[in-house]
Amino acid sequence: MVAPLLELERVTKAFYGQKVLSEVSFSIQPGEVFGYIGPNGAGKSTTLKILAGLITQFDGTVNIAGANVKTERNAAHALIGFMPQSCGFQNWRTVDSALDTLGDLSGVPADVRARRIPALLERFDLLAARKKKVKELSGGMTQKLGLIQALLHEPKLLVLDEPLEGLDPPSRQMLKDVIRERQRAGTTVLFSSHILSDVEHVADRVGILNRGEVRTTGSIRDLTKSFGLPTEVDVWFSAAPADTGFLRASTNTDVAADDERKPNEWRLTLAAGANADAVIHALVERTLAGGGRLRKIGVAEPALDDLFARYILESDRSAAVGGGSRGN
Amino acid sequence: MATSPTLRLVKDELYGFAKSKVMLVLWVILPLIAIAGYLLLRGNEKIGMDPDSKMSASVFMSLILSSLSGTVAALMVAVDLVSERQRKVFELFIIRPIRREVIIWSKFIAVFLVVTMACILSMALGIAIDTIRGDAFTSAMAYDTLKGMAQLVSVIGLSAAVGVICGVLARSILVAVLLILYGGQNLTIVPMLPTYLGVLPDQFWVFQAISLILILVLTFLASLAFRRSQF
Repeated sequence: MVAPLLELERVTKAFYGQKVLSEVSFSIQPGEVFGYIGPNGAGKSTTLKILAGLITQFDGTVNIAGANVKTERNAAHALIGFMPQSCGFQNWRTVDSALDTLGDLSGVPADVRARRIPALLERFDLLAARKKKVKELSGGMTQKLGLIQALLHEPKLLVLDEPLEGLDPPSRQMLKDVIRERQRAGTTVLFSSHILSDVEHVADRVGILNRGEVRTTGSIRDLTKSFGLPTEVDVWFSAAPADTGFLRASTNTDVAADDERKPNEWRLTLAAGANADAVIHALVERTLAGGGRLRKIGVAEPALDDLFARYILESDRSAAVGGGSRGN
Repeated sequence: MATSPTLRLVKDELYGFAKSKVMLVLWVILPLIAIAGYLLLRGNEKIGMDPDSKMSASVFMSLILSSLSGTVAALMVAVDLVSERQRKVFELFIIRPIRREVIIWSKFIAVFLVVTMACILSMALGIAIDTIRGDAFTSAMAYDTLKGMAQLVSVIGLSAAVGVICGVLARSILVAVLLILYGGQNLTIVPMLPTYLGVLPDQFWVFQAISLILILVLTFLASLAFRRSQF
């Protein structure tokens, strides 16, 4: 089995006696994209700051490619590219100067910097702003610059703290594309967000952090299952069948609840144990038999953010009664 | 090839400080004020000066600089450190594989150098004025000026070290300024104490030695505090 690139073991951190992280443990395999999800104040930034070496006083162990961030700091941090939630640059610096210095400090040779900086600026549509002072950039541009500085030395592990926050939709899409590009190039990516739908289509696995504890880790699909929500099926007719009784929960035992959201648009909640494929097949047959025509039929995509909010609320409730579950 | 982190940061900080508004004050306005002050005050009876005073421009300049340069150096570095910490500038440096104290040392060296250069410039201006006015710049005067300059450099170094430690410890600019004005600046008197108390006779070398020790101790303590800082 391949050794994990990042390993956190029982990481605990308290500020002024108040625990912010409580025995957080998880690992990330090389080349994986890991979404670190949690509501505001859950401890995401604290975890990432520990990885990046901004917080050095904590209990537990953090290893990056086998290098301990406490005892082999430089070796560990040569492997990381970190983009903080908000990036600060010296007022007098131009975009070029900021990147050149940060690249130099990361050990990137001058000739490589001279090639890589313009290429990255172009990738992020910042080449025209190359000679501008950083303080003249907009918030979104500064955020992109923050990402570029994290990519400059082509790190093995890219750690991004709320990278999508404050970006416009095209920039968000661009950033998701960059994450996928980096993954294809073999980079392991860990990024935090408080919005579950942000990590959808990007993260291979997610970890959910709440009140300083990692509640669960797994793929989005696994998490959706673990939320324990019933399967829903969307049925849209272009012409409804003569009798729609087979859609009703009162007459169809496979359907636990029915909701005609608009004329000819239904959402059916399947009963526990019902096989979605079999139900869809039956619905198609009965529609056609009843003279109806289908526009769309299929399993409804869960509203991830709603699920996440419910999950957090439930985990808060169980924590309040002392029964929080911790996954890994 | 990647350069040494300290050298790279010192070079950058020098450039940054040299372009800052404070340096405009130090390099242009301060010498101008000193010259104006010299021309206006020289021989002014109303302020108790001898009308036949032969105070040279270079001596006047060194008096002005010694009273201002230390405070300016301390405030410059402290305000810079606090403000960059507040704007999260250090985070992007700390996450890189460099020793944290490099950041502190580079600030100290850069401020020390720019303020020292500004002082040398003002002194040179004073000497130039004396020469234009026909006052001969004798070898004895040159020796005294050099000696005075060496002491001034020590004061600047000590003040910059005080500024560094205040800047690392304070969490707001106001606190840093108050710490410097009401606490830190008193430290610059320490090298003069043996002379005042009559303990050691050779004041120049004692002053220089105590200053150097204090500079090293203060900057080391500041580096230690910065290394333990949580961001």
